[in-house]
Amino acid sequence: MKKTLSIFAVIMIFTAAIFSQGFKVKATGEQTFNFADERGRNQATFFSTTPLEDITGLSNEVKGSVTFSVSDVKTLKGKISVPVSSIKTGIDMRDGHMRSPAWLNAESFPEISFEIKKVNDVKSVADNKITVKVIGDFTLHGVTKEVVADATLTFLDESEQTKMRAPGDLLGVQAKFNVKLSDYGVNNKIVGQKVAENIEVSVNIVGNNAK
Amino acid sequence: MNKKQKIVATIGIIFIVIVLIIWQAQGGETLTKTQVLIDKTTDLDRMLGVENKQYVDRYVLGILPSGTGSVYEILSASTLSGFVVVLSGVLIYLFRNKKKETK
Repeated sequence: MKKTLSIFAVIMIFTAAIFSQGFKVKATGEQTFNFADERGRNQATFFSTTPLEDITGLSNEVKGSVTFSVSDVKTLKGKISVPVSSIKTGIDMRDGHMRSPAWLNAESFPEISFEIKKVNDVKSVADNKITVKVIGDFTLHGVTKEVVADATLTFLDESEQTKMRAPGDLLGVQAKFNVKLSDYGVNNKIVGQKVAENIEVSVNIVGNNAK
Repeated sequence: MNKKQKIVATIGIIFIVIVLIIWQAQGGETLTKTQVLIDKTTDLDRMLGVENKQYVDRYVLGILPSGTGSVYEILSASTLSGFVVVLSGVLIYLFRNKKKETK
């Protein structure tokens, strides 16, 4: 009887570990993390590669927030956005082309955004690290389409080290997904075919839950 | 070719070779850049699983100019080489004329 109970307990612990869908950290309940960072350390990038040139577009003005239950990451909801005017590519003239009506049209469509709809494939990598597939609405050039992003979420309890960045617990989010420009009505041939049709979008952001 | 013309041609070729060496040494970029991406990821960023890259002002010579907004954008391996070729051509022509006049 004792042996059966032990085996049952081991199976239960093992099952709980496999199907764990939350962080094992000090914080509990629903938490909201804000990604505003005055020092511009949060960033969204796009990467385009063509035989002629590789281009990295970078914005350090990412804003937004996410809310989720610490014990269940599947409850994740929120929105992240980036002003088109904040994207830099390292060449002023190209930045001007990118913001122009012929391309991203920053005046008519000033914001690029990602709104989280659903979270799938939650896998616990460590007590404070989880990988997920985030399904959300990506809006670019005024066109909204559903995309799936591979994301890694890392939770750090507040400590002397984390306070150097921001008060409260910290949540690091790294996410990547691919976008086909023509799906969003963006003609990549405008700038002399120097931009790839498929570009990789990635986000590296850190938020804090201090109220 | 007289001696002066040979000196002009040699200096021109050496200048172009130096420009091409500088261009290659700076990464052989297609377009001239006035800003480059620098990795500023900290230990805390690594603990949080994120990276932090920032554009900083730095000049990188490309094979082609990146714009017309400033002299820095116009400068490139091709514009510098083209300028040297034109200048050398003019000087070689002028030196040839002077030689004819002295005769």
